[in-house]
Amino acid sequence: MRAKRLRAAVAAALAVAVPTLAACGIHPATAERDPGTLVIDTANYPSTLDPGKQYDSDTYAVYRNIFDQLLRRDPRTHALVPWIATSWRQTDATTWRFAIRPGVRFSDGSPLTAADAAFSVNRILDKKFASQQFANFSMISRATADGGDLVIHTAQPAPTLLTYLTTLSVVPERYVRKVGDEKFAARPIGSGAYVFVSATAGSQVELRANPLWWHGRPSVRAAVFRAVPNVASRVVDLQSRKADLATGLTPDAADQIKRDPRLAVLSTPTERIAYLAFNTIKGGPANDPRVRRAVAAAIDYRALIENLQRGYARPINSLLTPLAFGYDTKLPAAGYDPAAARRLVAEAGAKGATVVMATSPSFNPQIVQAIQADLAAVGLKVQIRSTDQPTYLKKVQDPGHDWGSIRFGRWSCSCLDADGVIYPLFHTGGIWSSYTSPSFDRLVEQARRVIDPKRRGALYDQAFQVLARDLPGLGLFQDYAIYGANARVSWTPDAQESFFLDTMKVR
Amino acid sequence: MTAVLPRRRLAALPATPRYIAGRIGQALLALFGVVTIVFFALRLSGDPARLLVPEGATAADIARVRDRLGLNDSLWHQYTTFLGDAVHGNLGYSYVQNRPATDLLAERLPYTANLAVAALVLSLLFGVTVGTVTALKRGRWQERVLMPIVLAGQAMPAFWTGLLLVLVFSVGLRWLPSTGYDGPLSLLLPSVTLAALSAAAIARVTRGAMLEQLAQDYVRTARAKGAGTWRLVTRHLARNTAIPVLTVAALELANLLGGAVVTEVIFAWPGLGQLTVQSVAARDFPVVQAIVLLASAVYVVVNLATDLLYGVIDRRVAAGGGTA
Repeated sequence: MRAKRLRAAVAAALAVAVPTLAACGIHPATAERDPGTLVIDTANYPSTLDPGKQYDSDTYAVYRNIFDQLLRRDPRTHALVPWIATSWRQTDATTWRFAIRPGVRFSDGSPLTAADAAFSVNRILDKKFASQQFANFSMISRATADGGDLVIHTAQPAPTLLTYLTTLSVVPERYVRKVGDEKFAARPIGSGAYVFVSATAGSQVELRANPLWWHGRPSVRAAVFRAVPNVASRVVDLQSRKADLATGLTPDAADQIKRDPRLAVLSTPTERIAYLAFNTIKGGPANDPRVRRAVAAAIDYRALIENLQRGYARPINSLLTPLAFGYDTKLPAAGYDPAAARRLVAEAGAKGATVVMATSPSFNPQIVQAIQADLAAVGLKVQIRSTDQPTYLKKVQDPGHDWGSIRFGRWSCSCLDADGVIYPLFHTGGIWSSYTSPSFDRLVEQARRVIDPKRRGALYDQAFQVLARDLPGLGLFQDYAIYGANARVSWTPDAQESFFLDTMKVR
Repeated sequence: MTAVLPRRRLAALPATPRYIAGRIGQALLALFGVVTIVFFALRLSGDPARLLVPEGATAADIARVRDRLGLNDSLWHQYTTFLGDAVHGNLGYSYVQNRPATDLLAERLPYTANLAVAALVLSLLFGVTVGTVTALKRGRWQERVLMPIVLAGQAMPAFWTGLLLVLVFSVGLRWLPSTGYDGPLSLLLPSVTLAALSAAAIARVTRGAMLEQLAQDYVRTARAKGAGTWRLVTRHLARNTAIPVLTVAALELANLLGGAVVTEVIFAWPGLGQLTVQSVAARDFPVVQAIVLLASAVYVVVNLATDLLYGVIDRRVAAGGGTA
């Protein structure tokens, strides 16, 4: 009798549960999206939507669609092209004049003026505003509006000014002043191809096409950026049609996506390099240039590119990619020559010496281990010292140079210029540099003050000669950006990893 | 506690104000200790300014950021400022997002609470049922089928269970959304993932408590008086097994409310767990401090509430409650 009651209770529970679950099946969770709507998975939620503040790729990906930048780069040639500035010229060594595009309106209807552009620059320079991008614009002493022109004064002749202005988003001065920085970041208004619709903190941001945009009508009518930190979760989102496009994928994830006939991998070589830097000051065995050359010859670059990067990388001849200004095509690439490496190790008397390799989990441990094996094969014992990123940075950037012998890292200045790479990495006293060379310092300092591209290029050629001789660092390969997309999306990503929705098409 | 109250009244009034005040005092002391340790440990662990500047930044750029964040002040000054502000409910501004840490927590807490409660309900339903059934059917096929399931649930890590569930229900069957929060349906997979872990613990405790009670004389008496299984379980055993089950459930709840880090990351759940990971990675000191403070406060409150609940369930506990 009581057993019957138990059975009845179970039956009742099942009677409720089964139809509920079945109902889930009737309404597919990945419902058809409106045509023109794109759902994008990125690793991180944007740190801010104020384009004057933070700068990292997932934050850029969202806010650069809400705002127009002063300049853009041609996605194929990487040449600077007009955007909010229709033309520009240098009026003297330290003054630049940009004609501001007439007729551009912010999405609240107010016109975009040269004063807004000047305000956008000066805001980043304002110490109280504490922009994380300050270092990128610190060459500017001030910006002013002169009629329809933006005038930028630099402290010194600044050859990299234009490249950084491609990252300058123009904000509406009146609105920002009216609502304040905090409210502006919560409800940004720009002149870009898309307008901000809503945000769920830590989760997603919704944009829709800006009907007032000056540059036409983009195919993507609405976009939802979702923060999905786990790579495997981004892949299943693509597979289950929860997302149309996913960024920041790994080579392994790309292989997985390739197996699904309805998904495609979109990838492009970027200006990011994978590199080794040596401690030439307190690096133990690495103080000897012969040991550094031995390391360069011991590494099987092809194996790194083919096995670990699964082809999503290209060989390079220095610490720069061919995309960047200053790349010397004539420089010979370091080659895999274990016999020569063994000879050099013996010559330096370093056979069996312990080399400490500093790294962090932010850098692919498989690559670090592959390098460890390569070096072991030529007689160097590598001790991997992995700490988390903040500790790694603290150690490596400490002026005591007491961090080990070799470190593995990745680098991109988002500026397509040698100045943004070899200056911070190797200039004496720089936080990343454990190398010192007066001739190198002189060359890169000079190259910072020369506008003429020919002369500048010649200076970098010489600087790279010095680096090739002293070998304080070593380029391993040029990295690719890897995206996954479903058949609705057609898009060619560019080397700058700019994520402009207006360059995408969606069905 | 002085036992001046007559025993009967004490039983009816399980928690005297003095007892509660004592417990709250202890709790505040514990919170203060935790926050102090976290405050100093964080500052030994890396420099947030280095993570905030662009790649090509100079030492001067980093120094400027440190200065703005107040990290160049003496540790003691930073600490006293933090305590002073904390007393006024100001836990500082996020270094990364430039917003009050309390605002960030307030945005994330509902998601975590939602998930925690759903997971707890599921694990209680499953755990108590399985624990009871396996105790009553000891050595029978029911136990042999259910126990391996419980063990598997506990043995499988969340990052594996979670992805497995997603592969079956989102990629394969297309029934449920794979990640993110949009509506109650998206709550299902993450809460099942979480529940798999806690349900096992609850099932084992329930089973143990049940077996212990089943050996008691009163059970035999009840059986002899003709009580069937259903009545035995609901009338006699439930109350007597509730205390250990409640203890485990409370600990699980406190755990879950602190943010289920792995599950939230797998399911892109915008709760405290994700915020914790990101803030620790970025060394966003004010946010980490606020999260730790909140998580320990939850622990303390849940434990206090459990102690008080014991008295409601079993008055014998309340009678001696002063030493709890």
